[in-house]
Amino acid sequence: MSTPAEEKISRYESLLQEMWTTSAQYLGAFSVKLLVERVAWEISQDYKEMELLYFDENGISCAEIANAVKINPDIPIDDMFMKFISKYVEILARLLGYEQTNKIASKLKEEFPDFPIDPKEE
Amino acid sequence: MNKLRTGIEGLDNITDGGIPMYSLNIISGAPGSGKTIFIQNIIFNSAKRGLKTLYLTTISESQFKMVRHLQEFDFFSDDFLGNNFVYCDLGATLRRDGAQNALNYLNSMIRQHKPDLLVIDSFKAIRDIFSDEKIFRAFVFELATALSIWEVTVFLVGEYEEKDVTLLSEFAIADGIFHLYGQEERRFQKRFLRILKMRGTNFEQGEHLFQITSEGIKIFPRMKPEGKELAYKVATSDKKEFGITGLDEMLDGGLKEGTVTLISGGTGSGKTLFGLKFLLEGAKKGEKGLFISFEEPVDQLIENADELGWDLNKYITNGLLDIRFYSPIELDIDKHGFDILNVIKDERIDRIVIDSISSFETSVANLEKYKDYLWALTQNIKRQRTTALFTVLNESLFSPVVITKAQISLISDNIIVLRYVEDTSKVKKVLGVLKARGANHDKDLREYEITSNGINILGKLDKADILK
Repeated sequence: MSTPAEEKISRYESLLQEMWTTSAQYLGAFSVKLLVERVAWEISQDYKEMELLYFDENGISCAEIANAVKINPDIPIDDMFMKFISKYVEILARLLGYEQTNKIASKLKEEFPDFPIDPKEE
Repeated sequence: MNKLRTGIEGLDNITDGGIPMYSLNIISGAPGSGKTIFIQNIIFNSAKRGLKTLYLTTISESQFKMVRHLQEFDFFSDDFLGNNFVYCDLGATLRRDGAQNALNYLNSMIRQHKPDLLVIDSFKAIRDIFSDEKIFRAFVFELATALSIWEVTVFLVGEYEEKDVTLLSEFAIADGIFHLYGQEERRFQKRFLRILKMRGTNFEQGEHLFQITSEGIKIFPRMKPEGKELAYKVATSDKKEFGITGLDEMLDGGLKEGTVTLISGGTGSGKTLFGLKFLLEGAKKGEKGLFISFEEPVDQLIENADELGWDLNKYITNGLLDIRFYSPIELDIDKHGFDILNVIKDERIDRIVIDSISSFETSVANLEKYKDYLWALTQNIKRQRTTALFTVLNESLFSPVVITKAQISLISDNIIVLRYVEDTSKVKKVLGVLKARGANHDKDLREYEITSNGINILGKLDKADILK
């Protein structure tokens, strides 16, 4: 039986994997990996646990973060992941343009309607 | 698309507002072609707008020499050094750890400094470290992708030749290519810039002259003739008179506003004086005139006009008349045409005289270039609604009409011919209007004289065969 925190992380992981897959259609896996690397590094400046995010050309995994939460349940999971998602979409919109990013966001929102994945038009 | 405004005069015009942000650009050229000053000018201008640059040198120019040389330029400011302008040595890393570790080093530097712009000078030096082209190509690809993810606009500077563009892999990956080169043109050692590629934006193709002065780089965009611009309307209402009784009647009231007129004649026929009178008449009506002289210095023109009772100084003083002398020997056509157009635009010139375009012609080594140039100049003058008069020297004194080698007559709206005729052992001056677009002009040849009272148009020539 999984805890509410584990379920939450699992849901974020699904979203990140979907972000990865959808973005890779536009950018290719190599660029997506670099983008995730950048975002993870930037978020890790405020949330050290983000360094535990694992990713390679094949995808993304939050298993290590889930383990960390078991030891320290006070880790602000929602804040950390929401900032990650928001930063990812923000950079993607600048690199790819608002229109294309909006298409990606729309696809993601079909499956994850409860997450704020809207790119901001500059 | 967001653009990086370079702040370099002329460059933002030819790139349609600037260089696309996050693009990877190569600045190529032989040693001494101005690459480093070009990029430094962009960087310092960007620093003034708060943008930060990471400048990585390899084995090209030592940093202390670079800083020492840059102090000569107005754009340089040591306030930015270490803050908005960070110099780092990539060469040491390359030599110590090899090229493969250069990417890790770059990544760490970007994380540390978070630059908006990144320069590698010289990138060619990195290429030379790789022994395998395939590995180098992979390196360039990874570099380009990594840098774009960090939202950095990149400039790779290198001593490349133009033929390298089609051969080397870095040029395939680059979004923009600026090629700088020098060229000996008759009397000048000139510098040119060509944009060979620019993804995601419009840009002006072709060869653009540039100069390096103490202010930095200044680009003179190539003047290009545009076919579509040939379709233009001539104002039907406003006529620009010469103020010469007889001639204005022959022209059906004067030259139409925004038209180009050629006035062709042999030496001593008075072409220059007709031009001066045209501007003088405009000045009397409050219209601004510009006289570009390639033959006579300003003082001599004023003196000659004075002998005919024309007071040019009065209008020069009140700003309605501007006379500029340029020696055709030292004339740089690329720069000159650009300057003329700027004056016309900035000072809102109503009438312009170029005396003579024949001198212009002799200063250009390449006739094709001159032809393009003159067409472009003419079109741009028309676009400004300025009424222009170009004098042309007819080297054959007694022959019928000769206009120009460059066939500028094709786009001139009006043609006035001055020539000599022999009549009962006397040499007479005659004038005719060969063409006046949209006007019911006089088809007769009329005798004229130039006296201390000015230019007088006399009677009709009674010999019908005079042009044979």
